[in-house]
Amino acid sequence: MAKRKSNLRGREGIAGWVFTAPMIVILGVFLFVPVVMALWVSMTNWRGNVDPFGGGPNAAFVGAKNYTALFLQDGLARSNFMQSLGNTFFYVLFVVPLQTATSLLLALIVNDRFLRGKSFFRTAFYFPSVTSSIAISTVFLFLFSNTGAVNGFLKILGIDGPQWFSDSRGLFHLFLGLFGADNPGWAQGEIFGRSLWDWLSGPSVAMCVIIILAVWTTTGTFMLMFLAALQDLPVEVDEAAMLDGVSPWQKLRLVTIPMLKPALFLVTTLGLIGTWQVFDQIYVMGKGAPAGTTMTPAFLSYTTSFRSNGWGSGAAMAFVVFLIIVLLTWWQRHIMRDDKTPGRLRRAFGAANLMRSHRGTGKTP
Amino acid sequence: MRSRKTRHATVALTLGAVGALVLSACGGGGSSFGGATKSQAAGPAKLTIMIGSSGDAETNAVKAAADAWAKKSGNTAEVIVASDLGQQLGQGFAGGTPPDLFYADASRIGDFAKAGNLFAYGDQVQGENFLPTLVKTFTYDGKLQCAPKDYSTLALVINTAMWTAAGLTDADIPKDWAGLESAAKKLTKGKVTGLVIGNDINRGGAFMKQAGGWVVSDDGKTMTADSPENLAGLQEIQKMMKAGSLKFNTDTSPAAGWGGEAFGKGIGAMTIEGNWIKGALTKDYPNIKAKIVELPAGPAGKGTLMFSNCWGIAAKSAHQAQAVDLVKFLTSVDQQLAFTKAFGPMPSTEAGIAKFKTDYPDDAAFAAGGDYGQGPVNLPGFDPVMAAFNSKLATLGKGGDPKAMLAELQKNGTAAIAAG
Amino acid sequence: MTAATVRSNDVGNNGKAPETGAHRSRNPSAKRIAGYVVLVIFAIIYLYPFLIQIASSLKSDPQATAHPLSLIPNPFDLGAWKRMFGLTSDTSVPIMTWLGNSVLVTVTVTACRVFFDSLAGYALSRLHFKGRGVMFAALLAVMSVPGVVLLVPKFLIVTYLGIFDTYTAMILPLIIDAAGIFIMKQFFDSVSVSIEEAARMDGASVFRTFWSVILPMARPALITLTILAFQGSWNEFSHFLVVTQSPEHRTMITGLASLTSGELGSGTQYPLKMGAALLTTIPVALLFFTFQRYFVRGANEGAEKG
Repeated sequence: MAKRKSNLRGREGIAGWVFTAPMIVILGVFLFVPVVMALWVSMTNWRGNVDPFGGGPNAAFVGAKNYTALFLQDGLARSNFMQSLGNTFFYVLFVVPLQTATSLLLALIVNDRFLRGKSFFRTAFYFPSVTSSIAISTVFLFLFSNTGAVNGFLKILGIDGPQWFSDSRGLFHLFLGLFGADNPGWAQGEIFGRSLWDWLSGPSVAMCVIIILAVWTTTGTFMLMFLAALQDLPVEVDEAAMLDGVSPWQKLRLVTIPMLKPALFLVTTLGLIGTWQVFDQIYVMGKGAPAGTTMTPAFLSYTTSFRSNGWGSGAAMAFVVFLIIVLLTWWQRHIMRDDKTPGRLRRAFGAANLMRSHRGTGKTP
Repeated sequence: MRSRKTRHATVALTLGAVGALVLSACGGGGSSFGGATKSQAAGPAKLTIMIGSSGDAETNAVKAAADAWAKKSGNTAEVIVASDLGQQLGQGFAGGTPPDLFYADASRIGDFAKAGNLFAYGDQVQGENFLPTLVKTFTYDGKLQCAPKDYSTLALVINTAMWTAAGLTDADIPKDWAGLESAAKKLTKGKVTGLVIGNDINRGGAFMKQAGGWVVSDDGKTMTADSPENLAGLQEIQKMMKAGSLKFNTDTSPAAGWGGEAFGKGIGAMTIEGNWIKGALTKDYPNIKAKIVELPAGPAGKGTLMFSNCWGIAAKSAHQAQAVDLVKFLTSVDQQLAFTKAFGPMPSTEAGIAKFKTDYPDDAAFAAGGDYGQGPVNLPGFDPVMAAFNSKLATLGKGGDPKAMLAELQKNGTAAIAAG
Repeated sequence: MTAATVRSNDVGNNGKAPETGAHRSRNPSAKRIAGYVVLVIFAIIYLYPFLIQIASSLKSDPQATAHPLSLIPNPFDLGAWKRMFGLTSDTSVPIMTWLGNSVLVTVTVTACRVFFDSLAGYALSRLHFKGRGVMFAALLAVMSVPGVVLLVPKFLIVTYLGIFDTYTAMILPLIIDAAGIFIMKQFFDSVSVSIEEAARMDGASVFRTFWSVILPMARPALITLTILAFQGSWNEFSHFLVVTQSPEHRTMITGLASLTSGELGSGTQYPLKMGAALLTTIPVALLFFTFQRYFVRGANEGAEKG
């Protein structure tokens, strides 16, 4: 038996390497090596004509100059990059909570045992996630055009819709403008070369279209995840809470949502990662127009490299985006770490207990 | 059960194959970066021509010319229409497979020449007698980088039906800003806006020029963006926008892709466009009757913008000699006039433009612009600078601040020149 | 991996699904009615763009602009569709080329992914070999690299290898994807070891065990993988944008993007754009409606990697 076993192990060893060889080759050659190449290019001043690995004046090593130009050097590279960062902050700020809340709401409603037409609704909400982002963006270009469906609908309500794609005014600016604030003195301080007033602009009207598009597309996927999580919830806790006449709102707040923490964590993490990668939609819906208010760092990296031939700078931007996403994911995990699964059930019972003791019945589970 | 030997052999073979694949890919697979110009093979050459077309008329005209030369010279020439010429050229240069011949816009000459992407063949085409203003636009580093292929200027295009319906006559044709304002106001009614123009410096810049300013100094060494003259030009645009008689093409309802489309669809009664609008009108909007007049003068006199592309030859092209021959063919008087007939631009040679003036008296306004027209900024590194300015300029109708825009342009431009 | 298909909630599924209504009766409560209203409103918002897409592709240009909300084309105009299929004298939009390229790339990539991903997933899950742990950790690391960061790197490697603007560049980098390997590994982890050991004891080679014994058991996971691979490669955009440039290599997606961002020279020919977008959506839509279950499962499994 032993000889057979060692034979098996031996064969497994070789087979293991053969089976994973394609993966190693393809992922190595087309993912790992290119990233290293790009890292090198990000530290040169290469403008695309000569061999980037050959040295010489058109591919000279410049160290971290491309990176510092994005943060510390007054100039177009920094102002474009900072604007794109600002745009993305607002994009994330709006998209992640909106998509989480909407998908949770829909999941809670659809989860009702006696609801009819469940699979129809599931299909309807999930379908947009499946289609190509390019195709969807094209449709939204039409819907939000100056004489499109959205403005037509608003006209029925008596509202004169904005020119969605050419309006670069920020939402927060418009809101603050209601109180008469317009580039006030207290907002003149500069952070990384951009005035505080500019940082507070909020998403532009054009960016709002992309926000709506993002929420519309991703809600279905996240709704499904919440549904799966809801269906996995043990019913005993629910019934226990019910017996004590807890109101549905309290139950939602104190029992259901805490038990959904893992799913919430997952949805927000995916949301954070996803929002920093928005690209296709920007390409179709204006490539950063109007006035650079729909520019994102990822797309800026693309235009800097492929259009302006500033490959070094573009590569540097891509790595900065990478770093930001990694940091965000770590921070996210850290924040929600103590709510990870093992103690979930215990905590849920604990919550139910707490509510009971509030009412003073003194019963133990 | 297969023998151990066979199994080992199979495994070794698989690993060997994978290894070979890896090696061949990384090694002499033919890295296309840099690399010497491939020597031209004997026999007929296959040239590629990449163009940025304004529509079918232009595409067909270039294809016809390429075929004619091919037949004459025994080579072949394939015309590729780029959907994004700037990006595709950039990719082609970086990827080592640029087209042999391509439209090179005047504003990109500095960038291309500095990066070494162009084969400067200006000395080989001296005999063609190109217009001096054009030669100036396409000279970088003291060398004529490429042969100007044609040029266009901006003029005021008027919808004659709407003009007469508004009670206007020839006497009302605007000769200055005041005249423009009143004509546009009279033409603005209902859904129609008096004047619809494109939303970037390639249209708005005309106003700046008429006020006496421009982005850079004449010698291209200093920025003059934040001058009061430029501000006056932009403020004039804003003034007409506030009066409701001028709109950018993106702000109309429905929005138009360019000024010519707004004009053709009757959204704007006038527009400011170049020679290419004639071809577009004939093909897409044949029912519109248009009259072309020179742009009104501003406080500093007449001003218009000049646009030109040249026939760029790639430094990495394997068929440079044939490409130069093709260029000579394409810039001959007959060929240039054929292009004019197809989609409107004016010939770039002295002989050509002389013939143009006699053949097309209606286009006198465009031709006149050649004397006082301003070419685009052609300094290296200005592409992102102008792009940033254009994106801000587009918000002029929505409360954009022209002073701030010009200040930013000044700042970015100065940095670009310094990096230069 | 939880068997996380969303179960349809029929009565009597062991009370696993908690109710959201306070009452247990079947009479529609006010809460439930409110729920229905919200769902219907959202359903309209979610479905309307697709309906408008279909309707607009059948309108004429001016009509699409003048009556953007209406779902009934009046007059009914097949102009956009004719133009797409080259039946009019206008510069035909080369939809057939785009379609052909899309089909070629999608079919090849899907087949390759299913094969190679399951091979690698099986090896990482079941075969013991030196360096397995390191390899898996590297795989997780690679999975965490966001796609947009890879645009410049991909262009660099493709140009370096001399395959820029070729079908090789379009297909080869995509034939293995880390997420697919992860899904297969997760699945194989859940298969009981005894079956394999039995097969091995009988002297079957590793590959034969894999091919004839394990793989047939993996059908649900394989179908999920096929669907995800099909959807992913059909809808792929940024990769093709970066590694190709000539019009002959355009897929439906890159072609549609070039159409929408102005290649037609000007304008707002909405019916044409809507028609092209519709054509792009149809294959994936068909796949979706047929294999809904697996899409849903794929969504949940794809989430696990997060």
